[in-house]
Amino acid sequence: MAKKTLGKAFRDFWYGKPHSAEEGGRRLGELYEDKTGLLKHREWRGVKDTFYYMYMIWGYNYLHMVTDILKFSNNPIDFVKGTWRYRWMGQTYLPVIHWFERGLQGMRGEALYASAWHYRAMVSASIHQICNFFNADTRLHGGKQNDAYRHTIYANETTCGTLFYPFMDDGYQYIPMEMIPYFVTCHVNSHTVLNYIDAVQSLGLPGDPCPMCQAESGLFVLDDVPDAAPVIITCNEACDASVSTHTLQDWFADKPLFALPVPMQFDDPLVKKYCMKEIEEMWRFVEEQTGARFSWESMVKRLERQNKLQRDEWEKWEVASKTNNYPINGVAQALFRIYSTQYGIQGSFWEEASEKVKQIMYKCVQKKINTFPQTRHRVIAWSCAPLYFSNWCTWAYNCWGLNVIINMDSLMFDMEIRTDSYDHMLEDMVTYHMWAPMRRMAVGGMHHIFELWDYMERFNCDMVAMYDQLQCKGMQGVHGLFEDEFRKRNIKAFWIPHALPDCRTVSRAEIRRQINDYMTTVMHEEPLDPSLLDFDDSMTW
Amino acid sequence: MLKSLCKKLLKLLGVFFLANAALFVVFFFDLDGKLMFNVVEPFLKKHYDNMERRDVLKTPYDINKFPTYKYDT
Amino acid sequence: MKDLKHLIYFENLLQEANNELVQQGKKEGLRAIGYTCYFMPEVLLDLPGCFSVRLRAPRCVSPDIATYYLSGRVCHYARSLMERALEGGYNFLDAQMATETCTATCRFQEHIQQKHLDSVDDMRIIDNDDFFCEFTDIPFKNTENSYQHFETQLRAHVLTPLHEHFGIDVSDEALVKAIEEHNEVCRLINEIGDYRKLDNPTITGYEFHVIQLVSLTCPKHLILPYLRETAEEMKTREPDLKKNFRCKVVLAGSENDDPDFTKLVESCGALVVCDRFCYGAVESRVPIVLEEGKSPLRCVAEHYLKTSNCPRFMPQDEMRERKMRLANLAKEYHADGIIIASNKFCEYWSYERVIDTFILKRDFGLPVCSIEKEYINAASGQLRTRFQAFVESVEIKHIQEGK
Repeated sequence: MAKKTLGKAFRDFWYGKPHSAEEGGRRLGELYEDKTGLLKHREWRGVKDTFYYMYMIWGYNYLHMVTDILKFSNNPIDFVKGTWRYRWMGQTYLPVIHWFERGLQGMRGEALYASAWHYRAMVSASIHQICNFFNADTRLHGGKQNDAYRHTIYANETTCGTLFYPFMDDGYQYIPMEMIPYFVTCHVNSHTVLNYIDAVQSLGLPGDPCPMCQAESGLFVLDDVPDAAPVIITCNEACDASVSTHTLQDWFADKPLFALPVPMQFDDPLVKKYCMKEIEEMWRFVEEQTGARFSWESMVKRLERQNKLQRDEWEKWEVASKTNNYPINGVAQALFRIYSTQYGIQGSFWEEASEKVKQIMYKCVQKKINTFPQTRHRVIAWSCAPLYFSNWCTWAYNCWGLNVIINMDSLMFDMEIRTDSYDHMLEDMVTYHMWAPMRRMAVGGMHHIFELWDYMERFNCDMVAMYDQLQCKGMQGVHGLFEDEFRKRNIKAFWIPHALPDCRTVSRAEIRRQINDYMTTVMHEEPLDPSLLDFDDSMTW
Repeated sequence: MLKSLCKKLLKLLGVFFLANAALFVVFFFDLDGKLMFNVVEPFLKKHYDNMERRDVLKTPYDINKFPTYKYDT
Repeated sequence: MKDLKHLIYFENLLQEANNELVQQGKKEGLRAIGYTCYFMPEVLLDLPGCFSVRLRAPRCVSPDIATYYLSGRVCHYARSLMERALEGGYNFLDAQMATETCTATCRFQEHIQQKHLDSVDDMRIIDNDDFFCEFTDIPFKNTENSYQHFETQLRAHVLTPLHEHFGIDVSDEALVKAIEEHNEVCRLINEIGDYRKLDNPTITGYEFHVIQLVSLTCPKHLILPYLRETAEEMKTREPDLKKNFRCKVVLAGSENDDPDFTKLVESCGALVVCDRFCYGAVESRVPIVLEEGKSPLRCVAEHYLKTSNCPRFMPQDEMRERKMRLANLAKEYHADGIIIASNKFCEYWSYERVIDTFILKRDFGLPVCSIEKEYINAASGQLRTRFQAFVESVEIKHIQEGK
């Protein structure tokens, strides 16, 4: 008996505890401190993975958070000044490693190694953006408009970064205005954004418009957007509220602003010509206002790198759809894709991470490593995800064996852009631009929204996680049709109600409860790790 | 000479081991997270809450400040 | 004031979308073409052989089935239209000319459209074999590129389908004829509406709202005789000796086809002298000017983009200028203040209301009452309190200014 216990203790030490509901399982839920979501202690993942995590993820990323600043910042003191000046910076940057923790919890082996590379790239790109902000911000330079300021173009975060490639050889940078202050903060520290939502509501804005747009305008209300560019490009992506957000942003920023509309009926071939001209007008505006010059070479160079990244993604999707060797978890896959497509090619972080992941992935394929061995259901996640609980996929795998194979967000820019001629490039660019986040498959036409069934088949999924963003008018407006189709097609689907960045509307615990209810009452399944069923993390980042 | 080199090497190894052990304690018991959550974030929050900010509602709203941006392409 | 001769008749016409004149138009063999938004040029749907009906869902207070489809978190107007459609209230429609100008109405229109997709079943909500629904892409700007685009879209998605499905004559001559008729409606409505500019207006905001709505929801040739008669009647209409209002206001904001809302405002002492909201007359009753060297369709395309004050317009100069236009309306109509009303869940107007509330007060010195309302305002107690308080504040301002 003692020998058996000793043997198990050794195995647990060497490999980590098993992922099972039985006695002696790892019981990840018990690692949490009540309410805060902090860890009593980090998970013991076995000798190899624990030390891999410690050195190659935890330590490596802490170190690189410093070296990246030194690499991308013109003056590291600006970084400190910026941290002191901007709430979204100070409150968000420091708990970054906990963001890794939430997304990688319970991961082992190749799934852990590969997913962490996606996180690494996102952090590096975020630091790059932050440094670009602070290099140019007049508030950190005594009101002076320096060279970096004059070489920065601001655009609404849903405008695709690809559009600004022609100016980058000339030393111009594009910053998606709200991507770091709003979007990234929600993932890393969900407390921060609440200040911005409350700020805009304090002006009398009702609580029902999309909370993403509320937060985007709230940033300006609290004067928390760096003054880092002479011009702003706005876009109507993805919805009515996005259009309206700019009315407040324009007032408070008070800078030359160019509106770049995306046609709503983007499947209509007749809209292409119109959209091409709009993009060209935007380029003229940038040239006129900043002195930048359109460079075809600059465009092609970056588009080709972007296309390569897209082809890499297709390779990964091929493995994800046909095998059980794909080593990226649901959250790492979705966020990497959103971050990289929105920020575009402005550094080599995406490509480097992609290469590393591919290496790991092919090793998994060759050695037939089942990267998520406890998978019970292959899940496709549809519509827009809760930003404050983007790691629900990790939880769902650990608790129920629900393995999110692909997300709607990942599928949005599913194309290459031709570079053989200007006309081809522009034509493809229009399509790319019109397939922007949430536009094609959330707020767009029904043809694309209901592509879900095709993707389910393509990725070999047997279950749908249907996000229910309570304030997204586009998705709310097709709620009943989805219910009808799920029933008619006998598809297993559960709804995840949420309010994008606002964790007060639907808490994480409530989301977990909804999934638990579905899994027990509809699927009649038992949890893999019962300790994760119910725990209080209401105060967590 | 060799002895002192060994001694130095051992000392270095000792420091390396102790540093790693300390690092492991910080890592394993999530001391970095606890420090951020309980000390750094509340301190920064207080700072940001009390920060003086520009009253953006006083920003002028000149109707004719910016032209119509129209371009022939 | 003496009651308007046709007011009760007009009120009755507004009780149903498929009203007496719509039925008469259908009996005459005309095609009924539905639409929801100003950006769908009404005049094109009034070509000889068809007539436009701007969709309303009067008295719809409980859109239960629509709430299943659209959820309870989109605007009540879209849900009410959907409910009325599900009830069969729009089966008279031969076509719906749809626009994706706001998400909620877009979704409603997508539900009634036969999409012929494998991925989602069509619902056949409009029980009419001839019915089809066609979407037009509407630009967000007032530029040459937008005019060209809009013209192309209108030709492809309005004129061509009308001709192909129903044999409607879409020639320039037919267009000119429709524009002439449209302009006569505009002239009459403006003539009637101009009495609101008098010191003691001879028409109430409610009466005008009713008249404007019938002009949007009935076949033009059938409503015109009534409008002409009303315009004549207005020439000799005497106001009450004692003013029965305490201040005058511009009513601005999102979708509003509920004259009872105007009545509610007026019952609190604020006479509505100008209606700058969706379904209002400020934009929709500006006559279309035919310019030499431009096709009638091009003139129509430019007209609807140039006249709109919709917060959907994105360019910086447009965003800013429309605040001034609203302030100018208050001046033109001698209004003492502005009521900005946005429908719950209307994202465009939620934001526009916020900024209007600050800018119109700060930069133009206009008192502003900012409220959120439902499509049908069954519970009006709170709104009444708000309006009464606003009227009092305007009166106090007058006293302070020594007026």
